[in-house]
Amino acid sequence: MIGATDTMTKELTAAERFTALVSDYQPLPGIPDEFIGADGRPRAHWLRYLDFLTDLGADDIGRRFAAADRHIRDSGVSYRIYGDSNERAWPLSHVPLLIEAGDWREIAEGVEQRAELMEEILADIYGEGRLFAAGDLPAAAVTGCPDFLHPLHGVKPPGGKFLHIYAADIGRGPDGRWWVLGDRAQAPSGAGYALVNRLVLSRAFPALYRDMYVERLAPFFQAFKLGLTSMAQRSDPRICLLTPGPFNETYFEQAYLARYLGFLLVEGGDLTMRDGKVHVRTIAGLKRADVIWRRIDSDFADPLELNARSHLGVPGLVDALREGGVVLANALGSGVLEAPVMMSFMPKLCRKLLGEDLRLPNIATWWCGQQQERRSVIGDIEELAIAGAFGNPVLRFPRNQPVIGAALTPEDRRRLVAAIDERGVDFVGQEVVNLSTTPVWRDGRLIPRPFVLRVYAARTPNGWKIMPGGFCRISDRADARAVSMGEGVQSADVWVLADKPVEMVTLLPTDETVRIRRIMGNLPSRAADNLFWLGRYLERAEATLRVIRCLAGRMIDADAQTPTSGWTVAKLASLLVTWHAAPGASASDPMKLTALALHGEKDYGSALSLVRDARRAASFIRERLSPDAWRLIGDVNRALETNGKGMLTEAEAFEHADAALRTIAGISGLAQENMNRGAGWRLFDAGRRVERGINACRFARHFANKDAPADDLDVLLDLIDSQITYRSRYLMGVTLSTVRDMVVLDPFNPRSVAFQVERLDEHLENLPLLSDDGMLEAPKRLVVKLGAEIATAVAAKLTNEEILDFEKSLLNLAEAIAARYFLQGPNVARADKSSGLA
Amino acid sequence: MIYDIRHVTTYEYGSTVTYSHCSLRLLPNDSPGQKVLSSELSIDPAPAQITERTCFFGNRVSALTITTAHRELIVEVRTAIDVDRPRPPLAAATEAYDVVREQAFDTVSIDKDSPAHFLHPSRFAPRFQPAADYARASFSRGRPILEGAIELMQRIKADFKYDTKATVVSTPISEAFEKRRGVCQDFAHIMIAGLRGLGLPAAYVSGYIRTIPAPGKKRLEGADAMHAWVEVWCGEDCGWVGLDPTNNMMIGNDHIILAKGRDYADISPVAGIILGSREQDVDVQVDVVPREPAAA
Repeated sequence: MIGATDTMTKELTAAERFTALVSDYQPLPGIPDEFIGADGRPRAHWLRYLDFLTDLGADDIGRRFAAADRHIRDSGVSYRIYGDSNERAWPLSHVPLLIEAGDWREIAEGVEQRAELMEEILADIYGEGRLFAAGDLPAAAVTGCPDFLHPLHGVKPPGGKFLHIYAADIGRGPDGRWWVLGDRAQAPSGAGYALVNRLVLSRAFPALYRDMYVERLAPFFQAFKLGLTSMAQRSDPRICLLTPGPFNETYFEQAYLARYLGFLLVEGGDLTMRDGKVHVRTIAGLKRADVIWRRIDSDFADPLELNARSHLGVPGLVDALREGGVVLANALGSGVLEAPVMMSFMPKLCRKLLGEDLRLPNIATWWCGQQQERRSVIGDIEELAIAGAFGNPVLRFPRNQPVIGAALTPEDRRRLVAAIDERGVDFVGQEVVNLSTTPVWRDGRLIPRPFVLRVYAARTPNGWKIMPGGFCRISDRADARAVSMGEGVQSADVWVLADKPVEMVTLLPTDETVRIRRIMGNLPSRAADNLFWLGRYLERAEATLRVIRCLAGRMIDADAQTPTSGWTVAKLASLLVTWHAAPGASASDPMKLTALALHGEKDYGSALSLVRDARRAASFIRERLSPDAWRLIGDVNRALETNGKGMLTEAEAFEHADAALRTIAGISGLAQENMNRGAGWRLFDAGRRVERGINACRFARHFANKDAPADDLDVLLDLIDSQITYRSRYLMGVTLSTVRDMVVLDPFNPRSVAFQVERLDEHLENLPLLSDDGMLEAPKRLVVKLGAEIATAVAAKLTNEEILDFEKSLLNLAEAIAARYFLQGPNVARADKSSGLA
Repeated sequence: MIYDIRHVTTYEYGSTVTYSHCSLRLLPNDSPGQKVLSSELSIDPAPAQITERTCFFGNRVSALTITTAHRELIVEVRTAIDVDRPRPPLAAATEAYDVVREQAFDTVSIDKDSPAHFLHPSRFAPRFQPAADYARASFSRGRPILEGAIELMQRIKADFKYDTKATVVSTPISEAFEKRRGVCQDFAHIMIAGLRGLGLPAAYVSGYIRTIPAPGKKRLEGADAMHAWVEVWCGEDCGWVGLDPTNNMMIGNDHIILAKGRDYADISPVAGIILGSREQDVDVQVDVVPREPAAA
C-alpha cells in the first residue's frame, strides 16, 4: 500500500504530464472538436499550447488559475442575469479558445463581408426599398421584426452609415468550416468582457501568452474609437456611451469600455434634445453630444416617437436624427438584422448586393411565410429545428431558443404544424448542425464543451476592422446555439495565433496629433449628483460608526464609570435613535442598540444602510472610481452584512465599528491621493464636507450644551476625533468654550465646522460658472455668508441657537448645490435618497 | 355630407409646467372618400415652436414646444370635412381569407398602406392566442374574408358590453377580453389581434362619428369623444375595408377618419413630455355636426 501512495505522489515529468493530459482527452462522439481534428489527431497549435502549459507543473498552474480568479473578484468584473438583483462574478474559463492563423483569415474575411452586407441591407430597408420591390426580400419578413421602426423609415443616418460596430456569432460545423449562427447589429455586447478576459489571462500566464504569438486586441479598440471620431462634424467630438443603467446585465462592461475608450458614460436622463441637437447636461450647462454609442435597444431610445413607456431614452432623439444633429452607433432600427428570419435571405442578398457568395455560410434557414418553404419545412420537421422568425417563442418554449423537431412529442408537433399553417410568417426552419467543442479545464483534466464565438467588426475610415479574438461563451448544454450568459455558462479568452511573434505595437499616438489636456471635459450633472451623495453617505456612515464606537468604548471601559457616565451613554444611544440608526424601542438596551445600529437592515440610518446607499450611489458612477475604491466600498459593505448575525459583545461591537472606520479611512485616503482634482473630486469632497459640517454642529449641540458635564465634552472630542489635538493644546481638562471653539470655530482643526466651510468655499470657487456676469451663484452666496459668520463668532458667547443656525445654513447650502449642479425635473432618474439626509 | 368638427382637449396640471414637448395627431387628411375643407389647430398657451410633418402611415403630426409656464393647456381643432364614401365591396364576392393571407405574406409593397405593416403583433394588439381562437370560429376554410370579418364584428358587438368604466387607455386587451367589456379602443384592438392571429392584416383607425343621429336612427356609441374602429385588408383587389365593432356597422358617411396605424400607440392624439408636473386631468370635448343638407 505504501508503494502505491508513493507512485501517486511522485512528481511526473513535464513530458509525462503532457502525454497524460492529451491522451486523456475524449471528444464527444459524433461532435467535431477544436483540439482533436476530424482525422482523430490533435491539432498542432493545441499541442504547442499544452506543451507550454504542462511545463509549468500542476501546482504552478493551480496557483495561476487561482490568481486569475482573484483578479476577477478583486477588480469587480461582474455581470447580471436578467431579473437578478445581485451581480455575479465573471466566470472565466482558464483555458483559452485557440484559433490558428489560417482559420482566422477565413473568419475575418467572412465577418468583414457580412458587416458590409448588413450595411447595404439596412440602407435599402430604411431607404429606397429596392429589395422589396424586386421580390428579394418579402416586406412581411421585415415588418415583423420588432426592431423595424417605422419612424426611422426614410431617415438618412447622420454621417451616412447605419452600422459602426457589428458582431457575428459563429461556430464550427462538422465539415470543419465556420458557420454564422446569428447576427448582432443593434448594440453587440461582450467586446469589453473579451478585453477583460484577455487582461486576466495574459496576466496569469504572461510567458505562455507571449510565446504563443497571440494577436493583440488593443488596436481594434483604437480603430473603433477613431472610426466614431471620424463620423462627427467637429474635430474634437464628445462621444457618449448611452447605458440603460446599473441594473442592466452588462453594465459593468459598459462602464469598463467607457473608461477604457475615454467616452462619457451617460444615461438617457443626462441627455436632452434642443434645436435638433443632443446635449449632455453638465455642471457647466448643456454641452453638445456629437456621437452616441448606444447600449440601449432602439425601441427605448425616444419615448416621444418610439416606446412611450421608456424612461431610458432621450425625448426627441429621432427628431435630432432627422435634423442630422447627432451620430448614432448603431442607427436606430438596425436590430432588424438580428431576427432569425433574415438568415433565410442572406445567401441571395449577398449575391445581389455584393455580387459574391457568402464567405462564411450561415445556418441554412427557411422562412415559413413563403408557401413552398413552409410546405417543405412542415414535411421535414423531424430533421429540422424550428425557431421564431422574429425572436418570438415557439409554442411554450423560451424565447430565442430553437426547438428541435425530432425532440417534440407527437402532440406538440401537431400543434406546431397547425401554428405554422396559420401564421407561417412567425417561423423559420433551420438545419440542425452539430457544432464543435473546445477543451475546458475541470479538476486537472481537459473535457470538451460546446461554445459560441462572437466576432466583432468596427467601421473605421479605412474600412472594417475585425477584432483578432472575440467573446467566447462555453455551455454545459449539448446544443449551444443559444448560449447566453446564464446558469452554467462560462466565458473564455480567444487567442488568435500569429505565424510569427506579435510586434508590441505602441498604441500611443504621436506628439503632433494629440492636444494636451488635463481635465476630462465637463462633469455630467447626474455624475455630480452621485459623487456628492457618495461623499455624504460615506461621511454619515463614518459619523454613525464613530458614535457606535464611542458608545461601545464607554460600555467596555470600567474606569470611565463616573457618576454622570450613565447619562453620556444614554445620550449617545438617543443620538443613534434620533438618526434612525436603530429603533427607539431598543434605546433601553445599549447592547442590542449597538448591534442594530451597526448591522441592522431596517433602519435607514444604520451603518449598513448608509454604506449600502453609498455603494448604490457609487454604482452609478463606477467608471469614475478607481477599482480600489469600488472594492473598498464593497469590503465595508460585506463586512457589515456578514458580521451582523446575532448579538454582539461590547468588544465585538467596538471592533466591528473600528474596522469599518478603518476601511472608510482607506476610501478617503484613495480619494485624497488618487482622484484627479477635477470637478468630480470637488463634488465628492463637497458632499463629505457638507455632511461633516452638519454632523459636527449636531454633535456640538448634543454634547456641548450650556451645562454639559466633562464626560459629555470628552465624548464630543472623541466623536470629532480631536482628543489628541485638544490635549496637546490645552493642558488643563475640558472646558465648554475651548471645546466649542475646537469643534465649531477653529479653522485649523480639519474636523471643525469652520474648516469644512472653508473647503466648501474653495470647491465652489473652482467649479464652473453658468454665466460670466460676475454675479455670485446661489451656493457661493450662501457659503461666503456662512464663512463670515463663523469667522467672526466668539466661542465664549456662542449659543446652541447659533450653532443650529450654522447647521441650517449648511442644509440650505446642500439644497442650493443640488439645485445648481444636479439634474432637475420629474423625468430625471436620480439616485434614491434616504429622507433623513435632506 | 359635410361635417363641422370641434375637438377640444383641456389638460389641467397639479402644478406649474415649465416646459413641454408634444406630438399632436389631431389634423385629418384627405383620403379616398373624404376631403378636408379646412382644419385649424389653436393652442393655449401659444407654443414657442411648432412644426408639421407626415408620419410613416401618412398621418399629420404637429410637434410643438411650449416654454411658457402654464397650469392648463388647451388644444382646439376645428375642421370642416366633406365625406362621400364609396360602397364597401360585396362581402360574398371578396377573396377567400386563406388566399388573402398568402397575398399579404407575399406582398412586395412597403408603402404606408401595404398589408405587411398590419400583419404582425404591435404594442396594443400583441400576440394573444385567445383572441385568435375567438376569431377563428368565423373563418371556416375558404370563406370570403369580408364575410368572416363582418361575422367577427357582429360577435364582438353581441358578446362584449360597452362600458366606459371597465378599462382605461393602458388596459391590456387580455383584461378587456376576459371581462368582455370595454370601449371602442378595446373592441378594435381585440378584433385586430384576432384577425392578425389568423395571419390577416388589420389596422386601427381613429376618428369621429356624427354626434346627432340621422333622423330615425339610434344615437351611436362614442359620439361625444374620439372614436376608433378597424380596417381589414381584403386582398389585392378590394384593399382596405372599414368595420366598426362598437356599433356593428360598416364604415360609411357617418364616420370621419382622423388617423390610421397599427394600433393606438401609432396614432395617440397627444403624446408628450411634460416637465414640472406629475399629475394631470384631461377633459375631451367633441362635436361633430353635419351641415344643413344642401337643397338637393
